[in-house]
Amino acid sequence: MIRLRDVGFRYDAAGASGASAPVALRQISFEVPQGGFRWLLGPSGAGKSSLLRLLALTARPTSGTLEILGSSVAQARRAALARLRRRIGVVHQDFRLLPDLPVFDNIALPLRLQHRPEDEVRDEVHSILDWVGLASRATARPPQLSGGEQQRVAIARAVIHRPALLLADEPTNALDEYQANRLMELFRDLSGLGTTILVATHNDALIRRYPAHELELAQGRLLRDG
Amino acid sequence: MAERPGLFTRWNQARRADGLALRRALPDRLLPLLVAAMTVLAALALAGATGAQILSARWSNGAASMLTIQVPDPDTPTTTAGTTTHLTRSDAVLAALADSPGASRVHRLDKAELGALLAPWLGQDHDFALTLPAIIELHMAAGTQTDATALARRLAAIAPGTLVERNAEWGERLGRLADSLHSCALLAVAIVAGIAVVLIAATTRAGLAARRLPIELIHAMGATDGYIAGRFARRTALLAFIGGLAGSGLALPILVLLSRVAAPFAAATPAPTPASSADWTMLAHTLLATLPTPLVATLLALAPAAALIGWLTTQATVRAWLRNLP
Ligand SMILES: Nc1ncnc2c1ncn2[C@@H]1O[C@H](COP(=O)(O)OP(=O)(O)OP(=O)(O)O)[C@@H](O)[C@H]1O
Ligand SMILES: [Mg+2]
Repeated sequence: MIRLRDVGFRYDAAGASGASAPVALRQISFEVPQGGFRWLLGPSGAGKSSLLRLLALTARPTSGTLEILGSSVAQARRAALARLRRRIGVVHQDFRLLPDLPVFDNIALPLRLQHRPEDEVRDEVHSILDWVGLASRATARPPQLSGGEQQRVAIARAVIHRPALLLADEPTNALDEYQANRLMELFRDLSGLGTTILVATHNDALIRRYPAHELELAQGRLLRDG
Repeated sequence: MAERPGLFTRWNQARRADGLALRRALPDRLLPLLVAAMTVLAALALAGATGAQILSARWSNGAASMLTIQVPDPDTPTTTAGTTTHLTRSDAVLAALADSPGASRVHRLDKAELGALLAPWLGQDHDFALTLPAIIELHMAAGTQTDATALARRLAAIAPGTLVERNAEWGERLGRLADSLHSCALLAVAIVAGIAVVLIAATTRAGLAARRLPIELIHAMGATDGYIAGRFARRTALLAFIGGLAGSGLALPILVLLSRVAAPFAAATPAPTPASSADWTMLAHTLLATLPTPLVATLLALAPAAALIGWLTTQATVRAWLRNLP
């Protein structure tokens, strides 16, 4: 489960932006129980991706307390944070696939970082490639794929290690309706198996088709939790 | 079904497929080349250090603490106040020397030793027609100061014409020179090692910058600092080891040449001439045999030392860099 108390976040002032570092999030408090599903809503620039960064432990809150999968982030040591990150899956808004690795190896990354045996890695990756319909593209490199195909690779990579926390940033924006619906079925299954899931989206049709608990952000503040 | 790859191949695939692509991130030709050059420099400096140490030990402990005394007409009896005694001049000097403070050993060269000493001038097995002076070596205990002039005066009173030659002064000067050469050589080794550290750190930083995205990505996926640092460190250690090996190989013939030139000064066993046989292991063996043992040891240690410097420097550099990630 995850828990936030008065979390604030501002991007580092260092660099060209100088002293006027934008405050991305202010006083965010909410909880999601284990296996819970949340839509993360709000206009562009509201802070959805920033919030997901904090939850993915790739940025630290500037203020407030953050608890991920039962561990308090502020007190955790680097090795403990790394262990936590291995239990998190992220679908990035911009996919973040490694362009010089074949699709197969991109998807295998989380398993290999867990030092899983190669036989197992191969079986797992092939079955998820089948599921996302990319079995024939295993040896292709990401730049050779269409946007929707790249997004499906990103989704496969995020779920292959059955994470305890799944964070998806606009995971359907390059998918057709059929693929988007399949993804929602997957989320439902994973949630049933105990994975906590947050999905940031602008896809109103999808939200209507799959109504669930909503977290709505606007200008870095949490407007609605319900 | 395709043939299963061997365990090693599979292990390798898993290692390479983490997206770090270190083969491209770290210069696999330039780094070994530079390390090889630095290894040659280190080997030369270490050879200097070893040579200086050997010479220093010899000069300050061997010749340095010895006086040479020449007694002409050694077999003539001495005269004391006009009366002839039963003592020969050489025996009288020997007796006087045995009493002198600080003497650790008094040794009169015998006929064979004298012959060996004079062989360069008179040839081997020369039967001396002339009476040779007695040559006495007076070894002083370490740390004792001898007043050679006073001793010469005392001995001349017993056996007029006796000469005392003090080797110590030159020995001490040469010893001091050798000591400072030794320090300079060690300083040079330290500087070379320092340059290696800076070079490897800079190379690693360039590699980190080149692979920033994959590093950030696998860090975000839970790769530990130890994993990422270890991947980089193993690579630079391997490249530095290859460079070190090449450098030691290059330095070997130079060192053999140097040690042959230096052999007469160190007065070690004469360097054996390499066999004309085409057997390379024999040749290598003979070459190594010409070098002093401590130098061979350091030469063998250079490649592992380069690898260790590479590994430690990279570990520290990568870990410091990763501290910028949350
Ligand atoms: N790397 C960054 N450095 C500085 N400011 C940033 C950075 N990323 C985002 N911001 C700022 O933080 C605020 C929140 O951005 P964020 O990306 O979280 O919005 P979002 O809700 O995900 O928007 P969108 O729906 O367009 O993806 C914005 O004002 C944005 O300009
Ligand atoms: Mg966003």
